[in-house]
Amino acid sequence: MSGSKMTTSHFRRRLVATTAAGAFLAASVLVGTATSADAATAKVTKGGTLYFITQQQQFDHVDPARVYTGRDIAFFNSYLYRNLVSYKPTKGAAGSSLVPDLATNTGVPSNSAKTWKFTLRAGATWEDGSAVTCADAKYGVSRAFATDVITDGPQYLVAALAIPTNADGSSQYKGPYKKTGQALYDKAVTCSGSTITFKLNRSFADFNYALTYPAGAPVKASKDNGDKYDLRPFSNGPYKIATYKIGDEMHLVLNTKWSQKSDTVRTPNADDIVVRFGLVENVRDQIMLDDSIPNTVNLDGLQPANNLRFFADPKKATQRMNVYDPYVRYAAMNVSPGHMTCLDVRKAVFFAMNMQALIDLSGGTIYYGVPGDSPVKPVLGLDYAKTTGNIHDPAWNINGAPDKAKALLASAKSACPDVYAKATDPSKGISWDLSNTATNQKASVLIKTAMDAAGIVMKFNFIPSGQYYSTVMDPTKQGDISTAGWGADWANASTVIPPLFIKGGGFDLSQASTDPDYAAFKALSDKALGTTDRPKQAAMWKQLAQMAMDKYWIIRPVFGKGQFDWGSKVGGVYYWEPQGTYGFGQLFVKN
Amino acid sequence: MLKYLARRLTATFMVIVLVSISVFMIFSFLPMDPARLTCGKACTPAVVEGNRHRLGLDVPVQVQYVRFVKGIFVGRDFGEGAAKFSCPAPAFGYSFNKHECVTTLIAEAFPVTFSLAIGSFILWLLVGVSLGVLAARRQGKWVDKASTAFVLVGNSLPTFISGILILLLALKFNLINPIEMGRWVSPFKDPIGWASNFILPWMTLALAYAATYTRFTRSNVIETSSEDYIRTARAKGLSEKVILRKHTLRAALAPILTIAGLDFAGLLGGAIITENIFNLPGLGRLSIRAVLIDYDLPVILATTLLAAVFVVTMNLIVDILYAYIDPRVRVA
Repeated sequence: MSGSKMTTSHFRRRLVATTAAGAFLAASVLVGTATSADAATAKVTKGGTLYFITQQQQFDHVDPARVYTGRDIAFFNSYLYRNLVSYKPTKGAAGSSLVPDLATNTGVPSNSAKTWKFTLRAGATWEDGSAVTCADAKYGVSRAFATDVITDGPQYLVAALAIPTNADGSSQYKGPYKKTGQALYDKAVTCSGSTITFKLNRSFADFNYALTYPAGAPVKASKDNGDKYDLRPFSNGPYKIATYKIGDEMHLVLNTKWSQKSDTVRTPNADDIVVRFGLVENVRDQIMLDDSIPNTVNLDGLQPANNLRFFADPKKATQRMNVYDPYVRYAAMNVSPGHMTCLDVRKAVFFAMNMQALIDLSGGTIYYGVPGDSPVKPVLGLDYAKTTGNIHDPAWNINGAPDKAKALLASAKSACPDVYAKATDPSKGISWDLSNTATNQKASVLIKTAMDAAGIVMKFNFIPSGQYYSTVMDPTKQGDISTAGWGADWANASTVIPPLFIKGGGFDLSQASTDPDYAAFKALSDKALGTTDRPKQAAMWKQLAQMAMDKYWIIRPVFGKGQFDWGSKVGGVYYWEPQGTYGFGQLFVKN
Repeated sequence: MLKYLARRLTATFMVIVLVSISVFMIFSFLPMDPARLTCGKACTPAVVEGNRHRLGLDVPVQVQYVRFVKGIFVGRDFGEGAAKFSCPAPAFGYSFNKHECVTTLIAEAFPVTFSLAIGSFILWLLVGVSLGVLAARRQGKWVDKASTAFVLVGNSLPTFISGILILLLALKFNLINPIEMGRWVSPFKDPIGWASNFILPWMTLALAYAATYTRFTRSNVIETSSEDYIRTARAKGLSEKVILRKHTLRAALAPILTIAGLDFAGLLGGAIITENIFNLPGLGRLSIRAVLIDYDLPVILATTLLAAVFVVTMNLIVDILYAYIDPRVRVA
């Protein structure tokens, strides 16, 4: 991406903030000049139709086991399906705290957090009036194992449950459709009355956070129709799906079987919720600029020029938010043999980079993001610490430091001649993977200009955007540098450091496992994962982030920002930090 | 005539088979991998292979084609175990992106495209032919000059510009409710709602086509008017109205109606740009998204085949009509 702005839909992970860093968060999450105080000050009104508009043709997924973007998780968790535990639906750092949802508490760990128990509360029902049972919760979790049907969803529960794996790392349990290995699952997840017990293969101190994902939500087995469940999941939340037509609209109506008494998390305000899909960007933006449908929330960002107009208009001051989004954008250095194995060359590329130009290309520091110094974003609070080196190096210049880069290259000439030769030979050059978008085409010119000034030969591998990640995740197809973005799944760098740098972590584009220092890194990472003392664990994550930055496994992280806009008749808007989006559940239509 | 008909039907069938094979091959050999596209971000090679199996792309392309053809006649099953499901015949496959049998998707999209095509067809014929005839009859007068200007504007403005312009103007003057735009309403349930939903797309499409038809009609009428038999008719004392109605228009409009039929058939395959601008869930939008975004091969195949069937069938109808009118064609 290289400084380009990726849309939220390109990312699958989400970022949360910790309560431990409340003061910092209050100051840092909301940026820019205008925010909404609606949630705190406006009088909540009931009724009306709340509209959402988007250019997208459909939600990526609606099936709880397959939903994996923060926005969609927040949307459906607020309206349609309930988890055992949820994030508190409130603004600020408090929004990242866990509250019991279908369970009576946030989980009881035992056996060094290798066993977790949750007891379901009474009174929760499905939209047909039947009770939500422990068997439903057990069935819901089992679906994630059916990887032939349930695609795209998070795999934390699959990886964590104490079920043996095959030689290729896949689980021996194949899900509830084929039932292969069913006995293994029945041993790992048990029901006793209304209490569900999860037996894990390691200490997992924040396992309850993993259950904030809808992949851990109950599903009524008799209503599960496999792939088609993605069109019409059965609701146990305050709304249910009346219609969902891809490319047209989703219409949610109040679920009359839902009871406020059984739900301390949700407060349905609107009578109807309508999501209109497929609007042309110009039309979508015009609706927001003209406020022609004031009870509308924009699920996308505005186009850059319209975004500037909207955020410059004082009349729109209470209809917008400019916030740090959940993501860190960065360039992963592929350190596997034959690629960027030379530290000096990796550093040379970093110092040569004109970060200012790249950030400006995508909206500048006000709307796109600011240079970062860690794979862990500051909003993660406890696990973030300012690193040394990289952007804090005295030689670093946001506009590029070609002389420093040249010096590093000169050093590389003797230290690692093969990589040096590749980086400076016009017939070879370093290959940089980019998603093939108009912005990235422009970004490549800026990168090339900066690299030319430092004497580095840079070539670009433009990959169709739809298959970008699946291509660069294939070691046989990945180039020397790959643009990427990542956000933590919950308030713990356990969802950042291991995925990004540990082999098999899920997103190890740096292929750090081939680095000579990897063994020490992995040992410390494993130790951190098994540490239930949170401050001690946080200290280890900080140390690991510093190590990754010192090794330049990733370069030029950008702490990204996102903009949100809505109509004048929409109240109750706030930024729900753990989900990185609107707090959907509290939105209402003003009288 | 029967022999001719059999020959043409066979040829039509062969064209459709060839189109289906061509489309299948083209999309099989392009450097795009549907298995990767369905894989998301944290996508390991093992997951890619799993998806390839799920999509039925892990077998040779000829086997995939045979499965596709077989599905059209006997239906097709997808998935395994408790997650198994069927698409009844005629099954053009299953869209894992839209979680629906492709035949159902087409059945839902076709009425939208047909509504768009028929409305704009009537509009452009009315405007184009009337203006063309008027311009021909008033050569050099202001009507003729105005029609020339109309032709210039209509032909110069591509639909992606004229459509956006019409749309933004309608928004500016609150002529439409943007949130309702593109919502499909059956003409049998709410004819006014149906028409109001399509009026802007009709205008957009008709603008481009009407300009072409105006020019074509004008030149045809002028050319026909200079024929000897028209002069003879005039010499016989027939009124200009009768000459125009009975002699000039009959001759001048025959080729226009032929082209109009083919244009209409082409539109039935989907007006991609117009449907996208006005958020109409028709075949054009279905196919272009399948090609550019979802890489949804079953949808691409089905919509391409359908478009080919429309064009080939209309060609067949035209050929048969020609053969009926002119017996020399039958032996050609």
